[in-house]
Amino acid sequence: MTALATIRDLTVTYRRDGSEVTALKGVNLDIVAGERLAIIGESGSGKSTLALAVAGLLPASARIEGHIDWFMPPTLGAKAPPSVLPDISPSRGEIGSSTVGSSPTASVIGESGDEGAISPLEGEMSGRTEGGAVERQPFHRSGVPLHGRDIGFVFQDPSASLDPVMTIGKQIAEVARTHLGLTWSQSYARAKSLLERVRLPDPDSALRAFPHQLSGGQKQRVAIAAAIAAGPKVLIADEATSALDTIVQAEIVALIRRLVTEDGMTLLFISHDIALAAELAERVAVFRHGQLVELGMTAQIVGAPAQPYTRALLNAHIGLDTRPLLDRAGLHA
Amino acid sequence: MSALRRFLRTPEAVAGAILLAVLIAMALSASLLFPGDPQAIAGPALLPPFQDWSLPLGTDRLGRDVLAELFHGARTSLAVGLAAAAAALVVGAVVGTLAGFAGGLVDEVLMRITDAFQTVPSFLLALAFVSVVGPSLGVVAIALGTWTGPARVARAEVLSIRERDYVAGARVIGMHPLAIAFREVLPNALPPVLAMSSVIVAAAILTEAALSFLGLGDPNRVTWGGMISEGRAVLRTAPFLSIVPGIALVLTVLGVYLAGEGIVETTAVRRGLS
Amino acid sequence: MSLLAVSNLTKRYRRGGKTIAAVDDVSFHVDPGETLALAGPSGSGKSTIARLVLRLIEPDDGRIEFESDDFLALRRAALRARRARLQMVFQDPLAAFNPRATVARVLDDPLRIHGIASRAERPRRIAALLERVGLTADLAPRAIHEISGGQRQRVAIARAIATKPSLIVLDEAVSALDVSVRGEILELLLDLQRQEKIAYLFISHDLGVIRSIAHRVILLDAGRVAENGDARTVIDAPQSAIGKALVAAAPRLNRAGP
Repeated sequence: MTALATIRDLTVTYRRDGSEVTALKGVNLDIVAGERLAIIGESGSGKSTLALAVAGLLPASARIEGHIDWFMPPTLGAKAPPSVLPDISPSRGEIGSSTVGSSPTASVIGESGDEGAISPLEGEMSGRTEGGAVERQPFHRSGVPLHGRDIGFVFQDPSASLDPVMTIGKQIAEVARTHLGLTWSQSYARAKSLLERVRLPDPDSALRAFPHQLSGGQKQRVAIAAAIAAGPKVLIADEATSALDTIVQAEIVALIRRLVTEDGMTLLFISHDIALAAELAERVAVFRHGQLVELGMTAQIVGAPAQPYTRALLNAHIGLDTRPLLDRAGLHA
Repeated sequence: MSALRRFLRTPEAVAGAILLAVLIAMALSASLLFPGDPQAIAGPALLPPFQDWSLPLGTDRLGRDVLAELFHGARTSLAVGLAAAAAALVVGAVVGTLAGFAGGLVDEVLMRITDAFQTVPSFLLALAFVSVVGPSLGVVAIALGTWTGPARVARAEVLSIRERDYVAGARVIGMHPLAIAFREVLPNALPPVLAMSSVIVAAAILTEAALSFLGLGDPNRVTWGGMISEGRAVLRTAPFLSIVPGIALVLTVLGVYLAGEGIVETTAVRRGLS
Repeated sequence: MSLLAVSNLTKRYRRGGKTIAAVDDVSFHVDPGETLALAGPSGSGKSTIARLVLRLIEPDDGRIEFESDDFLALRRAALRARRARLQMVFQDPLAAFNPRATVARVLDDPLRIHGIASRAERPRRIAALLERVGLTADLAPRAIHEISGGQRQRVAIARAIATKPSLIVLDEAVSALDVSVRGEILELLLDLQRQEKIAYLFISHDLGVIRSIAHRVILLDAGRVAENGDARTVIDAPQSAIGKALVAAAPRLNRAGP
């Protein structure tokens, strides 16, 4: 397997009104290049904090310990102007390109992933001393990918993540222009083709539309188009379908699956819904109270969970084939 | 406790609080330190400050003790300013809540009345009221021009709150509409209204001073505006008679404003985090 | 005799010069002690129906009969008094309570308003209500925002049953809860229904939950009734297009094992 990123001893603490809340405690997790990884948990599990930490979007007030090391190939280097490149260190780029050739093997499950991760981690140590002088905090991200260019992020509420007074076309084109160094007309052409890819009806008029003119599902399609506009290697969807109804949710999940497959992106799908995540992901990581409870291939997590908490989550799922509670309560006439 | 600590960490707020504390101490100790009538003659006329230590700030044209007048004037400024601001906030919050919550015709009528008051400059309104009714109702005169701001802010807040689930919840359990307006909606609409209080108190103190300056204040009480007005006649020969109460006025308004902003800031931080 | 009979209910909105029927000629009934579910995609009118039935908004057309009375004819004090019999639980229990309230105040209000208990008796009634929904009486002095989401929804249910209603409208009442809490709340609702013979109008987008706890279901599409019948019959073999789409979109957990 090829680790795209290794997360080691990641602890995130929020300071709030004098007291401290630990959102993540000593998390170790490898993200495999090209995989669809689901992060599952209930409220307070730290799943959204993990998503933000991976994307480098944690608020400045958060205290971060541990490290996230990236092995990201500089695929976009050719397209990008030199001005946006420097934050990928050349040495990191080399490690990335040397490992990107081998395709991820789906049979390796998370637990054994630690061994595979040792060598890049050792190589990482030298890089850590270089960077250590720069950052005062013990936390350290090497070969830091750039949010927007290397990582696309889709939030739960598209009305909050889209600018209400900017046209859809401009919001997507801006991402492409900033990160790919395209001209405005090239960026708009790219925006239009992206709107076609996310299957927005009538992309031409949608380019000139404002977010409030679209439905919730359409807005989320636009948010996805903006997230993938710069051709990121990683797509993070944080509860991206939770505010949508079931039918639209299924459409958006299908869209994410198609885009990730077509572009060879790595997907981090953050969700509270284990059934939904299991339909989409190859691997599932179950979080609770800021800790990683269980990690494994989807079929193993769903079919033969090792941890009681995972079993409890699965048992709590109420599907279309679950025995009705009414029968158990003896109420059904 | 932590709110107090946060308040004390802002230097402007601390400065404001100290100024206000001094002012309040002056107002409270006025009759202890300077018993008797501050308008009585205490010594020779137009004694400059720092000459006679029994009259540290000197005397005015009629030989009255300036320091005693300053202390007693603090009382008037504070009492009238706070009372007028409180009246303006209460009237504004009630009118705004009723208008926003009832909607329809009630809203139209109340807001057109608000418009009418708002289009007349508040100082002119106070001036006209005092010249008709007399200086004893100065508090009402000042409140008359300042309640419209709180009313508008309260109404805007109520319009958003009345669509919330908990207002629907209160209707579902059968609560009377007036109880919903004043028990459920108004308390939650208050923070932005109270945020205006520092500006309103400061403005009320200034308006009171201006009315007194024009001779429309209560003639039986010492006021800083009246002192400035008195000193104006001898501005060239004894400028301190205008400067001393002038500085007191500036420091008071500054203190009220800084302390008020400090409180708003602290509570806003707390609300933002919860 | 139906507890609630809704006939030809219609509610129109004007948006951008066009009139849209959010609820279009909808009729249904709820029998005492049963659960009727309203399901449909967003914009299908299910939440509008909930608000119409509770008279939080007024319909443009149609009739609502509740406990054999013309519910739409009730005014002011008569309507407020009758509200004791028709309660509601909201989706987001944090938004459903005054942010300044304590648990005790939230439960005190209905007891006071409907004269159910004297001032001296109320603390005991509040404690009993809290225990009825699986909470402890020492929760009473706590502020609403201090307690957990699951506890808050239990308090919301306690408030709804305080006035001994015959019907409770549950508007996505379990949708925002964590799955582990959701099961417990559903069990509580079923237990209350069995003990107190309360009927539920259960609004949800989740067909799995509906199939689990509802007796009958109405599927709505664009403000109209698309399909209705026995909950399991309809969901196991939907006939309408919207029913088929909803069933196809529901996530499935294949627990066969690797």
